[in-house]
Amino acid sequence: MLATVVETKELLETVAASLIAGVGVTAAFSLVILGVTRSADMARNERPLLATAAGGLAALAGAVVIAAIVFGIVVMTSK
Amino acid sequence: MSGNDIVLVIVVGTALVFDFTNGFHDTANVVATSISTHAMPPRIAVAYAAIFNFAGAFISLAVAATVAKDVVNGDVITPTVVFAGLVGAIFWNLVTWYLGLPSSSSHALIGGVVGSAFAAAGADAVMSAGLIGKVLIPAVIAPVVAFVVGVIAINIVYGVVGRERPGPVNRGFRLGQVISGGMLALAHGTNDAQKTMGVITLALIANGSLSESSDVPFWVVISAASAISLGTYFGGWRIIRTMGTRIIKMDAAQGFSAQGSGAAVILASSHFGFPLSTTQVISGGVMGAGAGKRVSAVRWGVAGNIVVAWLLTFPAAAAIGAATYGFCNLFGDSAAGPIIASLLGIGALAWVFTHRVRQEPLPASG
Repeated sequence: MLATVVETKELLETVAASLIAGVGVTAAFSLVILGVTRSADMARNERPLLATAAGGLAALAGAVVIAAIVFGIVVMTSK
Repeated sequence: MSGNDIVLVIVVGTALVFDFTNGFHDTANVVATSISTHAMPPRIAVAYAAIFNFAGAFISLAVAATVAKDVVNGDVITPTVVFAGLVGAIFWNLVTWYLGLPSSSSHALIGGVVGSAFAAAGADAVMSAGLIGKVLIPAVIAPVVAFVVGVIAINIVYGVVGRERPGPVNRGFRLGQVISGGMLALAHGTNDAQKTMGVITLALIANGSLSESSDVPFWVVISAASAISLGTYFGGWRIIRTMGTRIIKMDAAQGFSAQGSGAAVILASSHFGFPLSTTQVISGGVMGAGAGKRVSAVRWGVAGNIVVAWLLTFPAAAAIGAATYGFCNLFGDSAAGPIIASLLGIGALAWVFTHRVRQEPLPASG
């Protein structure tokens, strides 16, 4: 009886979306912070190449965070 | 104006009062982590959450549709049944606010309506498939998922930035909490404001003012969004303290992880129309972010009280809803029952607020 009333597919999709979004955005934001702090440290130590690489990592991860937030809102509004 | 119309007006007013108490009660879920990690000053955090709550109420109507059509049988529902259910939810919300327990306004609302519908028309009034599949099972799964996401997220965070200097890292995550707090408030608005929209729509259908196939009217969306955001702005500091400091002492990274995991679970659930408890989800996220760092960091006694309140919410609100319906039914089909119950309720509310709000000083800024 339980199997007939539980919306298994929707529940599994909810769990998967929550895991991907929650863990993914947190991980990406951590990379933003790592990139920004390393970039500042490398610039202070006069290592411009590494500073640029770390800054690039921060920018890329930041773009992922923004894209994930925008995607989430678009998916919500399209329901 | 007929007796039924008077009851309908009382129901809409009571639903908006519930929505206000929902915002008031659940403000803590949204802002406590931001306040406790000093990401935002208390008043700013609350105003910010109120704005995002208002915006979130317009994003999706899937949850409102579930509450209006999948939980109780519309054929046996009257405005008095909806009114009694709302009284059950408001009463339980105030009891748990008084005790400082972050219980679920959502379970209280659905429990109250199910209890009063059961009292009015027996088991046939309750759509058990919708109640189990759309409400009870997601209610159990969602906090567990938020806990797991919180544990994984905080471990990844510490793995990535654990060796960096704490100053810039904390500043970064405090800035991140401005974003994650906004997303959480948005998620709260999408899920919780819609429950009130669903209940008002249910009452309009029961009164014959709206056909069963109708969408949620726009004035219902606007009024529900306004009530929950006003309630959020006047938020309950008692529960903010429990959520923000009594479960775990959080650092900014934990606050960000807890808010991020909570927002992800609530937004995903709202998309599929699951009316889950935002309180329980963010509690799960907070516990996960705490346990992921160190299991003993979580005050499991406080967490246990939250779980007990969680288990009691549905039956307690259902019992109060059923009792309120029984009281209204003493006066037959007239509007006298809901009017007398409303007057008693307003008196009780006035007493509670004048006695307790004065004892609840605002926490120091920052």
